Amino acid sequence: MELPARVLVADDEPDIRLLVTLAVRKAGCTVVDSVGDGLAALAAARAEIPDLLVLDVSMPGATGLEVCAALRAEPATAGCRVLLLSAGASPADIARGLSAGADAYLPKPFPVAGLVAQIRALTSGVRA
Amino acid sequence: MTAVLDRPTGSHHSPAPAALPERLVPGGLALLALAGVLVLATRPGHLPVLLAACAAVVLPVADLARRLRGQLATARELEEQRRDLVSRGRTTADELEVATRMMRARAQTMTSVIDAVTEQSIIGTDRDGVVRVWNPGAERMLGLPRAEVVRIRSITDFHAPEELDGETGPDPAPARRGANRFAALVAVARDQGSDVRDWTYLTADGRRLTVSVAITPRTDDDGEQAGWNFVGTDMTEVRAAERLKDQFVSLISHELRTPLSSILGYLELVLDDEEQPLTDDQRQYLGTVERNAQRLLRLVGDLLFTAQVDAGRFTLQPEDVDLAAIVRASEETARVTAAARGVSVAVAVPDGGLVVRGDALRLGQACDNLVSNAVKFTPAGGHVTLRLAPGWQDDDGRVTATERPGCRPVAALSVSDTGVGIPAGEQGRLFTSFFRASTARRNAVPGVGLGLTITKAITTAHGGSLDVTSAEDAGTTFTMILPAG
Repeated sequence: MELPARVLVADDEPDIRLLVTLAVRKAGCTVVDSVGDGLAALAAARAEIPDLLVLDVSMPGATGLEVCAALRAEPATAGCRVLLLSAGASPADIARGLSAGADAYLPKPFPVAGLVAQIRALTSGVRA
Repeated sequence: MTAVLDRPTGSHHSPAPAALPERLVPGGLALLALAGVLVLATRPGHLPVLLAACAAVVLPVADLARRLRGQLATARELEEQRRDLVSRGRTTADELEVATRMMRARAQTMTSVIDAVTEQSIIGTDRDGVVRVWNPGAERMLGLPRAEVVRIRSITDFHAPEELDGETGPDPAPARRGANRFAALVAVARDQGSDVRDWTYLTADGRRLTVSVAITPRTDDDGEQAGWNFVGTDMTEVRAAERLKDQFVSLISHELRTPLSSILGYLELVLDDEEQPLTDDQRQYLGTVERNAQRLLRLVGDLLFTAQVDAGRFTLQPEDVDLAAIVRASEETARVTAAARGVSVAVAVPDGGLVVRGDALRLGQACDNLVSNAVKFTPAGGHVTLRLAPGWQDDDGRVTATERPGCRPVAALSVSDTGVGIPAGEQGRLFTSFFRASTARRNAVPGVGLGLTITKAITTAHGGSLDVTSAEDAGTTFTMILPAG
């Protein structure tokens, strides 16, 4: 049987963290860890090497952009998929996110169904 | 002229009278000869001699007298000329004195005007940047008295060096460093005749001030460039307030978006939960919650957008946009609300579409605002009409359906309603942030007064225009003209 994709969730807002966790489960994936700051996200990513990280952009410790850039610089984590979530919705915000190496960028507030679809798309093909 | 002026004006000596006795000598000898002849003539028998003598003497005497008169006339003439010159010299001296006094008064006026300015720094330099004028405003702003600066310091001493050294850093040769910095400071003013921008000034006590400095070249009476003027206004507090406002707006935006994300996200989970379906009543109540959360979200977006427009940080992402598709989408968005209010919405757009160059997201926002306003301000039974058509605009702004010489192609979008209208006296303020027409307040139409400000800003940024015609209780038409083709 195919193993579900492993997803790491990081957002400093507990309510959003839970909402994202629910969306990950709806997408048929496993949540390997959910953390509230950037440094914890980086440490968990190095330990778990997840298939996908769902990262908030503005977090204490390190921003989602910094976490993303750090993951891309390390061979062990360079292959992880990254989905950024952010309250910044301007084209400039999105461009910054994608140039930090993110695979997708979703502005907040996001429709849950849209997040579920993004998670499915980003984890399809992995662990096949 | 100058020789006359060199003499003391009180003296009566002059070249003409001094030469007079010498010129009279031949005349004196002639008179002696005449006296001798008269003595001889008194003796009898000497008449022929006398007549001959007379003939011999009278002619030279007449000549002498004529020359004498001529010489006297010349002397008088010279004396007149002398007087004239002396008086003209006096006049010139008087005029000079008056002019000097006026110049002094004018300089005094200039100095007193410059000295009376205490909130702005007025700094004048020579062509190399050495300070020549340092007003009390400069003393106050930078903390150094005039005597310690004028002819001693360069203006660049008071500038943050990193702003003048550019990307290459300070010149390694100290001799050239100052000159290069000054050249960098006046570069734009030298090119364009003037330059106004923010610079960082360094005060005597080590503070850094953000100063808006107007730089202009100064010329002397012959039109030669004599130096530079630097008029500065301390903007440190203003800029700090602007930064605070920016931070406040982005904080508000973030802090409001985050809870709204939770509200909308969890609402969606409840509404879409197939295992625990809601009753119709529950669905309706939660639908109301969702609608209001969306309204708050739009308001946050509008506030953030207005702040960006105010700060001049609003940019477009231009692409080819089909306005017809945008108008149809706005109609679809408004359809449910319009139907609920009993307002009909009609759309007339060109079949083949109408393409303009613009930002699809912003043009959609502008069109949505006009359509939702029209629906909002129209009572039940009323009509809203959206009409999009290509047109031609002349230099006076008139738009016609047919092409004429000298006209630009445009897209004309009009949104008409049969609503409450806008009083004529209020139409001029419609596009001001937070302005709400009395008809809007009287009819309790919800809104904060940002929609039209935003719509106008978007239209202007596209090089277009937005106009309104309205009559109270009859209806309103907004017309948006955008450059096409």
